[in-house]
Amino acid sequence: MVGLFANAFGLKTRSERPTSLESAAIGETYTINSIETTDSEMKHFLFTLGCFEGERVTLVSVLSDLYVISVKDARYSIDRELASAIGID
Amino acid sequence: MKIALAGNPNSGKTTLFNALTGSQEKVGNWAGVTIEKKFGTLKSKYNPTKEAIEIVDLPGAYSMSPFTSEESITRAFVVDEHPDVIINIVDATNLSRSLFFTTQLLDLGIPVVVALNKTDLLTRDQTVLDIKGLTNRMKCTFVKTIATKTQENGLDALIKEAMAKGGQKQATPFQVPDEALKAAQYDAKIAETQDRARYDFVKEVVRSVEKRQVENRRETMQDKVDRIVAHRWLGIPIFGAVMWLVFSVSQTHLGPFLADTFVGWIDAFYGVVEGAMGDSVSPLLSSLLLDGVIGGVGAVVGFLPLIMVLFFMLALLEDCGYMARVAVVMDRFLKRVGLSGKSIIPMVIGTGCAIPGIMATRTIKNERQRRTTAMLTPFMPCGAKLPVIALFSGAFFSDAAWVGTTMYFMGIALIIFGAMIVVRITGEKNKRTYFIMELPEYRFPSIKRATLSMLDRGKAFIIKAGTIILLCNALVQVMQTFNWQFQVVEEGMESTSILASIASPFAVLLIPLGFGAWQLAAAAITGFIAKENVVGTLAVVYGITNFIDTDALELVSGSSSVAEIMGLTSAAALAYLVFNLFTPPCFAAIGAMNAEMENKKWLFGGIAFQLGTGYVTAFIVYQVGTLLTTGSVGTGFIPGIIVVGVMIVAVIAMMRRGDRMAVPKPEAHLA
Repeated sequence: MVGLFANAFGLKTRSERPTSLESAAIGETYTINSIETTDSEMKHFLFTLGCFEGERVTLVSVLSDLYVISVKDARYSIDRELASAIGID
Repeated sequence: MKIALAGNPNSGKTTLFNALTGSQEKVGNWAGVTIEKKFGTLKSKYNPTKEAIEIVDLPGAYSMSPFTSEESITRAFVVDEHPDVIINIVDATNLSRSLFFTTQLLDLGIPVVVALNKTDLLTRDQTVLDIKGLTNRMKCTFVKTIATKTQENGLDALIKEAMAKGGQKQATPFQVPDEALKAAQYDAKIAETQDRARYDFVKEVVRSVEKRQVENRRETMQDKVDRIVAHRWLGIPIFGAVMWLVFSVSQTHLGPFLADTFVGWIDAFYGVVEGAMGDSVSPLLSSLLLDGVIGGVGAVVGFLPLIMVLFFMLALLEDCGYMARVAVVMDRFLKRVGLSGKSIIPMVIGTGCAIPGIMATRTIKNERQRRTTAMLTPFMPCGAKLPVIALFSGAFFSDAAWVGTTMYFMGIALIIFGAMIVVRITGEKNKRTYFIMELPEYRFPSIKRATLSMLDRGKAFIIKAGTIILLCNALVQVMQTFNWQFQVVEEGMESTSILASIASPFAVLLIPLGFGAWQLAAAAITGFIAKENVVGTLAVVYGITNFIDTDALELVSGSSSVAEIMGLTSAAALAYLVFNLFTPPCFAAIGAMNAEMENKKWLFGGIAFQLGTGYVTAFIVYQVGTLLTTGSVGTGFIPGIIVVGVMIVAVIAMMRRGDRMAVPKPEAHLA
């Protein structure tokens, strides 16, 4: 019952080792190792926000279908597609 | 002397600009409120010299390489127009990102003074900043400011510093190591190397000057609020409840209550003017003045309190940080029809006025999404359409709250439906897009700012009523008084008037929609100049002086008589309302669509789509409504169904063509 409730609020944690933010665990901080997209403008935009290889990113929560991430002391909401483009280890 | 304000989105540039210049430019708590540069003159309070100092507010930008169109304005201005000083507004709670842009500004050689804004939040978070250290490391002065405060906000010191720096040279705080640049062989690589070096430098500076107690990455109270407010299933009902609250306060409770008092004054004024003129003035002139000007304009101005309350509520909503959450909640749904969560912001702003709503689409990166949003935003009933809604729900549906509410939901439904059609026509139904949006911190909305925004809109509304609407009403009054030979139209011969003969051909087209009277056609046409005109013109052509009852707390007085004069069934009345709401917006809003779409094909396609939508929805409402209430279809069903059928077939054909152009859906999900 508690598990169900936690699930509804996006509190589930995942055990397997994530390769991108899409499968990251909530509350965990990761190091970005790649930005996998052919959209060079988006890649550059992420860069200007400080979201590039070697930088730290935290998955704060998952709201609706969006991922709330913290990069360089700022919060962003990104969609699943963008989350899957941000490779982490 | 010219001072430019530049900085990251939502760092408080416009708030600072308003404080420095006394302007009332729109502010809000999300990234991308300001979409154009704004000019102002420094208040004498801050200016010790006689020289006029120009302040330029620029849209927020994360860097010198623009991502969306409004960001490029910032770059173009600071690079090409050489301001004497740049005030770089930096959100003090987010140095590690903001200083990246600062280092880029410092490279321009123009003196930079940093306004370290939102310093009140530092105290809250117990973050300690070494201002002296910052000034030394960055080779430019840092001044603490709190732009939202009126006293002790640091603005005096900021301006003093900026004026002292005018005309000086600016040193750059860091150099990219030569060997790193040599290693990078081509241009793109060089830029990347420089940017990385910048971020490394910033990281190092922040480490040495900032002592934090609260890490941003930790979950806060705000995140807990977000879990509820932007929850997968609760988010939509909460958004619905918030919007319902906004509309019910402005349209069924506080708004009408204030409107009632206000209309009493207009009535009294009518009486005074009528009395003063007596019988000495020619009946023609007195009717022009009383019915055309005071009656027509009064009918519109009577709704001023409703609109002001609406703008007050919207300003509170924009100020608290909720808008970005609405975008989060709606993204899931809008994505299905090819839009993104960002499209909801123009639409919410559009409930106040479509023009700023359409302009807000500028922050949407994807071209098709931006154009589609600009095309569909006018379907949200705006403040000018409020009087129309209020009039019809009062006159035909005894002020039933469902009428207004239904109109907003219908607007949303048409937007979703329209987006679905557009994404298929353009052949982009399988195109992949990304969504990213900064989530601002919640804050308590400022009553003062909401009040200012309300007064500002109220003023604009009165000016509009006193100019365009007054002129239109006077013109309508003259056109219906005279025939083409410039003789006064006799009683019983109203259909020979200039107005009637112009409007009649249009009225024929409206027969299948249930309202083929020239008076109603004329009102709908004047509605394209300003939507309030629909009410004003109806007041003039039907000789109704005031729609708002001053005795009973009712919006529309003698509702049965108003309904009787217009001679509409309730199905036809609802169809007429729907037609006026969902046809193309006023010309000013069409102008805004033109500016944002930057493409004539899209503009005319959009207008055609809006016209078609208005026609088809009104047709369905009237015919189905008539069928339900009387058991048989309304007048002109056969010609109407042919017209509607042709439109639907044309749209389907275009969607088919788009589907053939579309790229196939990507097979597997990229992991």
